[in-house]
Amino acid sequence: MDFAFTREQLMFKKEVIRFAKKEIVPRVQEHDLKEAFDFESFRKMGEFGLLGLHFPTEYGGEGADVVTTVLAGEALGEAGVDGGLTLAYGAHTFLCADTLFRNGSEEQRRKYIPKLASGEWIGCMGLSEPDAGSDVASMTTTAEKRGGSYVLNGTKMWITNGPIADVAVVYAKTDPDQAHAGISAFIVEKGTPGFTPGRPLIKMGVRTSQTSELVFSNCEIPAENLLGNEGEGFLYAMQTVEWDRSALLAPFVGVTNYMLKKCSDYAKGRVQFGRPIGKFQAIKHKLADMRIFGEAARTLVYRIAWCKDQGRPLNHLEAAIAKLYIGDWSLAVTNDAVTLHGGYGYTHEFDVERIFRDTRLAPIGGGTSEIQKMIISKLI
Amino acid sequence: MNFDFTDEEKNFFSEIEKTMETVAENRNFESGDLDTVRGNLVEALTALASSGYLKLGLNAEDAPVTGTLPLMAAMEQLSGISPSLFLAVEMSTRMFGQVAALGQEAGKGTDILSALAAGKTMGAVALSEQSVNVENDPLTTTATREGDELLVNGTKSLVINGPLADWFAVVGMLDEKAAVFLIDKKTPGLKLTDRQRTMGYDGVAISGLELDGCRVPADRVLGPFDAAPFLEQLKLWENQILIASSLGLMQASYETARDYAKQHRSGGKPIIAYQEVGFKLSEMLTLYQTARLYAYRAAWIADENPKEAGVLTLCAKVFCTESAEVVAGKSLQIQSKDGYLAGGKAERSYRCAKYGQIAGVSTEIARVKIGDAALGRL
Repeated sequence: MDFAFTREQLMFKKEVIRFAKKEIVPRVQEHDLKEAFDFESFRKMGEFGLLGLHFPTEYGGEGADVVTTVLAGEALGEAGVDGGLTLAYGAHTFLCADTLFRNGSEEQRRKYIPKLASGEWIGCMGLSEPDAGSDVASMTTTAEKRGGSYVLNGTKMWITNGPIADVAVVYAKTDPDQAHAGISAFIVEKGTPGFTPGRPLIKMGVRTSQTSELVFSNCEIPAENLLGNEGEGFLYAMQTVEWDRSALLAPFVGVTNYMLKKCSDYAKGRVQFGRPIGKFQAIKHKLADMRIFGEAARTLVYRIAWCKDQGRPLNHLEAAIAKLYIGDWSLAVTNDAVTLHGGYGYTHEFDVERIFRDTRLAPIGGGTSEIQKMIISKLI
Repeated sequence: MNFDFTDEEKNFFSEIEKTMETVAENRNFESGDLDTVRGNLVEALTALASSGYLKLGLNAEDAPVTGTLPLMAAMEQLSGISPSLFLAVEMSTRMFGQVAALGQEAGKGTDILSALAAGKTMGAVALSEQSVNVENDPLTTTATREGDELLVNGTKSLVINGPLADWFAVVGMLDEKAAVFLIDKKTPGLKLTDRQRTMGYDGVAISGLELDGCRVPADRVLGPFDAAPFLEQLKLWENQILIASSLGLMQASYETARDYAKQHRSGGKPIIAYQEVGFKLSEMLTLYQTARLYAYRAAWIADENPKEAGVLTLCAKVFCTESAEVVAGKSLQIQSKDGYLAGGKAERSYRCAKYGQIAGVSTEIARVKIGDAALGRL
């Protein structure tokens, strides 16, 4: 057993941090305040190779392994990139592009992956609905086969990148009488008649990611836009869980390091009662808890990434444990970070308040903590 | 990066588990008078010696596996069998053994180490005095030179295996530095107090020690060492044992609760079907599994990057020992009145768990040290 990264991986991590600090982080606060998506940073991430890191080079990717890809996510968090942008990246690369790559035909891969890997196009995944969140199999969006087309009707909700996506992987029922086995996956491009992305929702956190409904009203798409086979959509959606439990959680590991540094710096500089507040045990205690959480989160995430690199089937128990732990336990440390900063922590002057708001999504998005507990208790 | 053990390591861990399960069939390791506890330990040490388990971490050339990480995983097997047996074995073999091994290069204590690895002798480390926090409160046990011998005087408390040990590694001050005095139990001037009863670990023999002019030959003196780094090293070894102990407590707590929840019925169904119970089990397993990975990584870094090992071991120690109490508490809750009855694994684990947070480096001091590491130079 060996927890070491390779030298190349560590060097790559440093490069990503350097890139992010220079090209992305200076604009984070501004975009968070304006609730605006940072297109410029996203494109730069594409140019740097981040958006297609794990895709083969012949599709415009970098051919990186899973651990390296996950490490890039950690690096973004550690650099100070906000949760909104890392969420947008995660949804684009892992929920949309990867699903397309893994299950699409060669023609579909050639058509979409290079554009998605470069960031020329932005992708999203439409799975959840207003009345089908945790219980996704109860979705009511339908896809009716009519000759050489499918006609989609329904509404998707909570779709990251929804308002700005050029292409969406959309899940709909080709057999409404079935539950999971009735779900199929489709590729829908922006501008398709009958497809209307909703207006961006105003959210508590991850504000730089644009989230909306996707509305389908007799939206007709060519039959060749079916992704994979009919009735296998749910399986494709569940395949994204591996990424959800590693690459999409990795920024939380990184942001914990970032927060620890910020909090330490503040604790050293802020003087009260004649001494830096870092001298008080209560403050050291909070810093310690941040470190303790971060180290725990790190091993959970990389175990999943490493197993994926070995080609092992997803261990659903380990995946649920990782999501549950990071989702629930991250709240306490971000809360501590705000408290440590006192009044300043409650303002936009320091980014701990943004991190606190962003992190609140952790036990909700990608499968709530309650769902993880349900999964775990069923598996034991 | 590799999250698997080798086949050789897995086979060894399995052998430890099977060996000790057989020994445990015929004995209750969690209670007893001194004769019973002694008998338990002797049988366990004999069984463990044959597998090579007692050689781990002691620089033995023929140890079945090498490295702190496989040692942690091997300790985990034993801690899952019995918390009391584990603590007694490890404080003798690993804690006393690693201390005694400090004299190996100088040829000191090799006879003791051989007997230890063969399961033929028991050791105890006498460190705590009025306070467990020996870093803040200076040691008052001292030695003065008298010809070729040292005269040792002092009082020690909470000596695990005290009443049973053949050898004591007494930590005290010599020439204003820390030293270890290897003292045979029959040495004149060495007196044990009555057995000290504790909240948990009912099957461990614990006592205090009084040293009144104990004569120790020079070849039984290790050091002197600079006090701060030496005490830090001792605490690291103790923390590693407490981490492994916590894993065993969590295993016992989780498994009994899970099995209970699947069998015990209420309202016409097994109670695991209720979210209040199922969700608690999920939380318990989450902490337990995370703790295991944490323990392995902390053990790994002890060999990979000793500079980082101190802080990461403290992180693991806080996480694992506090999780052990939470997991045991939830286990009790799930098992309701059955859990609250004396003798069950959950209530035993709950009583034992608190020790892990107090001993070694306490969780309070650990957090201060981890915080200081984050702050760097303040």
